Amino acid sequence: MKRLIKNRAWRKLFRNRLAVASMFVVGVYFAVALFSFAGGITRQDTQKRVLPDKFPGWFEQRTLDDRALDAEWLIERVAARIERAPETEDPRRTLDEVSLGERRVAELSIDELQSIVDDAYDRLDGLFEVLDEKDFILDEVLDKQISIERLQEREGMESRIAELNAEIEELKAELPPFVEAAAVEMEKVDEVLLQLMPMPTGLDGFVYGTRTFLGSDAQGRSIAMKAFYSTRIAFQIGLVVAVVCVIIGTLAGAAAGYFGGWVDYIVMYVVSVLSSIPTLVLLGVLVYMFAGSTVFDNPAEKPGLALVPVYAAMCMTYWISTCRVIRGEVMRIKELEYVQAATTIGFTRPYILLRHVIPNTAHLMFINLSLLFIGAIKSEVILSFLGLGVKGQPSWGTMISQAKEDVSTYFFWEVGTASLMMFGLVLAFNILSDALQDAFDPKHVS
Amino acid sequence: MWAFILRKILYNIPVYIGALLLVFSALRVDDPVNAYLGQDAGPEQYEQLREAMGLNDPLPVQFWDYFTSSITFNFEEESWNQKGTSVGEILRRSVIPSLSITLPALVLSTVIGVFISLIAAYFRGRAPDRVLMVVAVLGMSISFLVYIIFGQFFFAAVPAVNGWAFAPFAVQGYEPWFAFGEGGGFFPDRWVEYCLLPVMISVVVSMGYDTRFYRAVMVEETGRDYIITATAKGATKPKIMFVHMLKNAMIPVITRVMSTLPFTIIGSILLEMYFNIPGMGREVISAITNKDFPVIQAFVGVFALIFIVSIILTDVLYAVFDPRVRLS
Repeated sequence: MKRLIKNRAWRKLFRNRLAVASMFVVGVYFAVALFSFAGGITRQDTQKRVLPDKFPGWFEQRTLDDRALDAEWLIERVAARIERAPETEDPRRTLDEVSLGERRVAELSIDELQSIVDDAYDRLDGLFEVLDEKDFILDEVLDKQISIERLQEREGMESRIAELNAEIEELKAELPPFVEAAAVEMEKVDEVLLQLMPMPTGLDGFVYGTRTFLGSDAQGRSIAMKAFYSTRIAFQIGLVVAVVCVIIGTLAGAAAGYFGGWVDYIVMYVVSVLSSIPTLVLLGVLVYMFAGSTVFDNPAEKPGLALVPVYAAMCMTYWISTCRVIRGEVMRIKELEYVQAATTIGFTRPYILLRHVIPNTAHLMFINLSLLFIGAIKSEVILSFLGLGVKGQPSWGTMISQAKEDVSTYFFWEVGTASLMMFGLVLAFNILSDALQDAFDPKHVS
Repeated sequence: MWAFILRKILYNIPVYIGALLLVFSALRVDDPVNAYLGQDAGPEQYEQLREAMGLNDPLPVQFWDYFTSSITFNFEEESWNQKGTSVGEILRRSVIPSLSITLPALVLSTVIGVFISLIAAYFRGRAPDRVLMVVAVLGMSISFLVYIIFGQFFFAAVPAVNGWAFAPFAVQGYEPWFAFGEGGGFFPDRWVEYCLLPVMISVVVSMGYDTRFYRAVMVEETGRDYIITATAKGATKPKIMFVHMLKNAMIPVITRVMSTLPFTIIGSILLEMYFNIPGMGREVISAITNKDFPVIQAFVGVFALIFIVSIILTDVLYAVFDPRVRLS
């Protein structure tokens, strides 16, 4: 470690404030990934219903109409269970099946719950009555606006249009009392909802808050949990692919550059073959190789193994860039004096390669590690969108591709969360790669 | 010269065979027949279909068929998934849609990228350069898919749904924008409607990478001796940049364009999938998901050939135009 700090290049890296900041960001992401990996966030957490469908996150205000519909949804969901609960063996468990994450049905007797539900239905009726009246006025306004548009196409209708406009203004003036009344009714409904399913407090409350603060997806699952779990998937894919590719690429490239001749020919032959097939097509075909296997296609029981096809395909494809770079560098290094000196002393060639040549390509290995990590995360998104990537568990790619339908209904929480989380990590790694490049290999042209 | 070309070709024949062999053997790992059979198909139907697909032949025979049909461009084989259509027909009809997006995108992104990188190199180290490079890094950090989703949403879906007067882009789909012969013609408005938005997205996506690369090239070029000579003899900075430097910096630019050129034929797989454009990329991905071996194999055969030919051509062109390149 002392040697590292003394090294000029490392000092340059650590003096770069942006690089240190991005290392910190990567560290935070890594902590989330580790927390999930240690069992803090499981696959089940990402599949539980915690909210109504497509519920927005913490800062988006919902309209009264939406809130009313959500309340109705919640009451109906619980009411159906309360009706059935007495007939089941364990009524409490039946009720817990409709709990939303940590938010459970209140610990009351069935009769008490039933009376709360009846009360809730009454208040809901009151709410919808007011909302209906509001909608009636709005419909009338809409009708008038349509007739204004029609009149505008004809000549000499200015007086009639003005008349209609005045009527619209009058109708709009009638609206506020209804909106206020609806708000009051809504509060009454919310009150009774809290009696039915009280908000969790303490640690449970914190956990429930984390689950819900980014809203829910089209099946009411927590977006936050999915995004955190995906961080782990991203790190798994990124680290495995980057480490394996750097190892393969360095060994193959160094051997090719150092030994030359037949070794070089064979390595470069494999590299040429792999690069003469488009990457995405190659990735797709390689992933397909595993399609029939039940060992790797069982995300419910072995979510880790389900990623193996993705790892394998990427590892087999992405090492070639590292190999090319290392080969070039080794060809340069092997002509240097210290290598020639080692040869003259009489060290064997494999020893020189491992002891003197490969350690001197370490800077390129670092840079490639960082670049491959980014490449793997980005390809995961693309492969998942094409249906060839992560299956049966959330990842940023599956989140983005599932949420593309939600975008058309102006619901951006899922796609936004996944994109922003990914953006942060990739940006940090991009800055880090640049800083590594600057510190270790300043002469390089991108 | 001819010996050089011949050597290049001889070296690349095993590469071509290797590419075919790689895809061929990867596809033989998993049995595709069941996917084409119904739920209650018996072993007899299985055998029949397997025979009809040619999977019962010995592997060397299957590979020989694949190899010969690839080098003779004999793509008469029927696609497994799209019954009644030959593989050749699928390839032929999907080339144009792919190229009508990728080629304009390549040209545009190169021109714009070189232009922006010149600006950055001109203001090297000062505010405009820094801002441009920060924007480039930010742009590189956003996923391609995000650009596509929001690009389609804001430029095509929102105007179409809200009925805006300015709604030039189709949400998805493709119509041929030129045709020969009877009833043929040239319809640039169709190209704008169906292809311009994907082209724009693709240019924006590649902009970050391109600008950074070209800027690095330009910056390296500014350190050369001839720039110092030009400065010493009193040439103005714009003149040095646009007359002396640009010409010399064109070599790496052309190399980069040449190396991406073969990839234009597969089209942008993501854009084609998302915008439902019937191009090469969409065909090959749907062939992979539908286990349509003849299409995948033919596609890889054609692409590998184009790729290898373009590599040989690049090397030869280098040798012709740059006398410093040794023909060894």
